[in-house]
Amino acid sequence: MVVLRAGLCPGLTEEMIQVLRANGVRTVVDFVSSDLEDVSQKCSLSYKALVAVRRVLLAQFSAFPANGADLYEELKSSTAILPTRSPSLDQLLDSGLYTGEVTELMGAPGSGKTQVCLSIAASVSLGLKQHVLFLDSTGGFTASRLYQMLQAQAEDEEEQLEALQRIQVARVFDVYEMLSALQEVRDRLSQQAVSCTGPLKTVLIDSVSAVIHPLLGGRQSEGLAIMMQLARELKMLAKEFSLAVVVTNQVTRDSSTGLLKPALGRSWSFVPSTRVLLESKGAPWEEVTTRRSASLAKSPRQVRLLPGQHLCDGEVTRTWPQSRGRFLMGLGRFRPHGGTQCSGRGTHAARLHATEEKSTCSLQLELVFIGKLNERHCLQSRSPCSSCSSRSRDAAEPAWTPAEVTLA
Amino acid sequence: LSSLKNLEPCLFAEEGSPVHGDVIEFHGPEGTGKTEMLYHLVARCIIPKSGGGLEVEVMFVDTDYHFDMLRLVTILEHRLVQSTEEMIKQCLGRLFLVNCNSSTQLLLTLYSLENMFCTHPSLCLLIVDSISAFYWIDRSNGGESLNLQEMNLKKCANFLEKLVREHHLALFATTQTIMQKSTSSAESFFPLKLQHEFDTDYRPYLCKSWQQMVTHRIFFSKQFNSGNSKGFTVVSCHLKKNNVVKRSFSVAECGVQF
Repeated sequence: MVVLRAGLCPGLTEEMIQVLRANGVRTVVDFVSSDLEDVSQKCSLSYKALVAVRRVLLAQFSAFPANGADLYEELKSSTAILPTRSPSLDQLLDSGLYTGEVTELMGAPGSGKTQVCLSIAASVSLGLKQHVLFLDSTGGFTASRLYQMLQAQAEDEEEQLEALQRIQVARVFDVYEMLSALQEVRDRLSQQAVSCTGPLKTVLIDSVSAVIHPLLGGRQSEGLAIMMQLARELKMLAKEFSLAVVVTNQVTRDSSTGLLKPALGRSWSFVPSTRVLLESKGAPWEEVTTRRSASLAKSPRQVRLLPGQHLCDGEVTRTWPQSRGRFLMGLGRFRPHGGTQCSGRGTHAARLHATEEKSTCSLQLELVFIGKLNERHCLQSRSPCSSCSSRSRDAAEPAWTPAEVTLA
Repeated sequence: LSSLKNLEPCLFAEEGSPVHGDVIEFHGPEGTGKTEMLYHLVARCIIPKSGGGLEVEVMFVDTDYHFDMLRLVTILEHRLVQSTEEMIKQCLGRLFLVNCNSSTQLLLTLYSLENMFCTHPSLCLLIVDSISAFYWIDRSNGGESLNLQEMNLKKCANFLEKLVREHHLALFATTQTIMQKSTSSAESFFPLKLQHEFDTDYRPYLCKSWQQMVTHRIFFSKQFNSGNSKGFTVVSCHLKKNNVVKRSFSVAECGVQF
């Protein structure tokens, strides 16, 4: 509720404000929604002046519509897909984490959410040389574990240290601290150049349920209001600054269907665009297991998911939209250096399983095809043409490993 | 004044719907296809007549940063015979998008959009996804007074009605199922004989001004039985004439398919 005051916009003088207030027009909304002819008569103010003020107020306080074609152009150059270094997870996410979206990792305690977050931080920082912000609200972030992951991916100590420096960690233990940390990020990003090629590309929040859960329950709606405020901040951050925002959440069991669903209720369920369920998959006799599985519960792109089923339950063949070739142009800047065959040193803390996907040749082609917007011949043909096969040999793209991938 | 009756006949109980002046509400829980249906409608509108579309302009008001341009482009690619960059951009040129951060900003934005409706006569579809996005925040800001809580949305609803009427628009708005299903029959929405046939998880929670201006209410739900190959269902109600119809659809790469 913005209250009218002198100097709010040119043409709005103190005398005008007083007269308007005397006639019940106190806020911007009051002004904009009143009948100006009426106001002009009652307040003896110039109709033209009032119309001018209205126009300026609207320009200042309302949102400006963008044309779809312009928005598309902008998105093409600012959207990037960040590979997570785990090919199976990348397959689930449709090549990796998309910037401009909120991705949710849900799972029971011990299902590997923090590990996956650490792994994403390591991969983005080391492999893509981009900055990462990690908001830790559970105390689960351990720098030594992160360092272990970096050591497994890079031999050079200097590279490892550089990667560590690109990861910023903030410990936030309640929602207000989280909101203010996010506000700080916004301020920092707004001050930089307008183009979204700023160094920060990923924000990881482990976990969002830890700070929201204490606010829910009971009859007051304040908790829900704050939750929706946080949701709004996260989505705005992702969209406006082209970041990939990853959040972790708990799970609960749905009473009617028996399926696992994300915690934090119905209102929260609308927030993330993509949702991955992490589960511990040990055999019944194993007391401690290191096997985890990831399944896709929600996606804006994998539309062939049968409702009620997770990707790991059914066989799903996906066709790869040609348009992704366009967006992979962004990938050119973030191509992983070296392969993703991890050295496998040290203990394997978690492994991610994903369904064995039928990888068609065009799948391989598309990922290799970077920056070639207009050369559609390869995207349309199912069999590799000679130029593509030679290109695929040259590119440093990781081979698709069908099932087990080490995270460490 | 172009006709909208070919927009998506499967969505409506009445033939010839929607008409200019209709207010259609999409209601349903998360993951039931409401946003996909909106992309389907947008694609139907912005594709040129030569491609089988209506060639009209659309204003899309996004209140929770939900709109996925990549998805819309994928759908367009599948539907256009000639899906070149040029064609896609030409279609997208008929779409206008605006993001709103609060119910106050939504209201002020609607006021400023009025001018656009005047200058774009082929702009005849207005979409608000979703109109319930500010519900909890408004409720908390309004304190104890229901009046204050609902004030912004009430003003939005009233102004939307004016826009729809004066500029001959059709308004599609989504509302999210964020409440538990009501068990009291007094709040039940359907005439009793149809109640058991169509099971909908509906409990009205938005202000009366909005409830009263809706002309069609369409309930979305997901099918869980494997017998039904089509994954989603719509139950479409024409509120004035009390007609109800139930249809199934699936979502493929090319979008919604009935």
